[in-house]
Amino acid sequence: MKYLLLLNNDGAAVDSWRSLSPDEAAARRAEEVPRWNALFGWMAEQGVEVDGLELGDPNEARVVRVRDHETLVSDGPFAETKEQLGGYFLAECKDLDQAIELAQRVPVATTGSVEIRPIAE
Amino acid sequence: MKVLALIWSDESSWEKLSPEEREDWYAQYRSFASAADAKLAGGDELAPTRAATTVRVRGGQTTVTDGPFAETREQLGGYFVLDVQSLDEATELAAKIPGAKHGTVELRAAAEEEAA
Repeated sequence: MKYLLLLNNDGAAVDSWRSLSPDEAAARRAEEVPRWNALFGWMAEQGVEVDGLELGDPNEARVVRVRDHETLVSDGPFAETKEQLGGYFLAECKDLDQAIELAQRVPVATTGSVEIRPIAE
Repeated sequence: MKVLALIWSDESSWEKLSPEEREDWYAQYRSFASAADAKLAGGDELAPTRAATTVRVRGGQTTVTDGPFAETREQLGGYFVLDVQSLDEATELAAKIPGAKHGTVELRAAAEEEAA
């Protein structure tokens, strides 16, 4: 089964990143590296294949709609939510339980949330 | 650069469509995908949000809840990963995604480290 895992960051955490200098941001990233490595190690051990992307600033999101053949473009993320999408994984898992196992190992799950969406058959 | 195009639409109106009407939308998606082929790096249709599961870990405890993390007017129904030169090019492409006609396409650029 293929699952899309949406990695939602806590909004306050996103804001706090913005106030960091490049060096401070690099230091905070370095702190998180062992947890990400543990996750990638687990994936390799379980044979879970993943693809994914880390996303840029949600404030730079663009929203596109077409109504009556007219394209309407606006700024900002689609939904105003406390948590904001920071990236995703597309994972081939045995079942939902394994996807949950994966989700709880994602560092983002401790401050934000991980939403698991099965891919349509 | 890679840009994630999230396709949001009203799930309940999709579920009310007849098989023929759905097939018509799928045909539109297939023709979009073949026309945009060189600029697509991935994409999938998602199962309905009732199949969603949200996971949080607090104080070492895992909480698993049914449903999407947020209740929204439109629901995330699918996505494409666009491989484009700019956000403007992504916007042009997004306007051609069939879902843009009745729902919303949200564009999120990849983090710079990924784009490099």
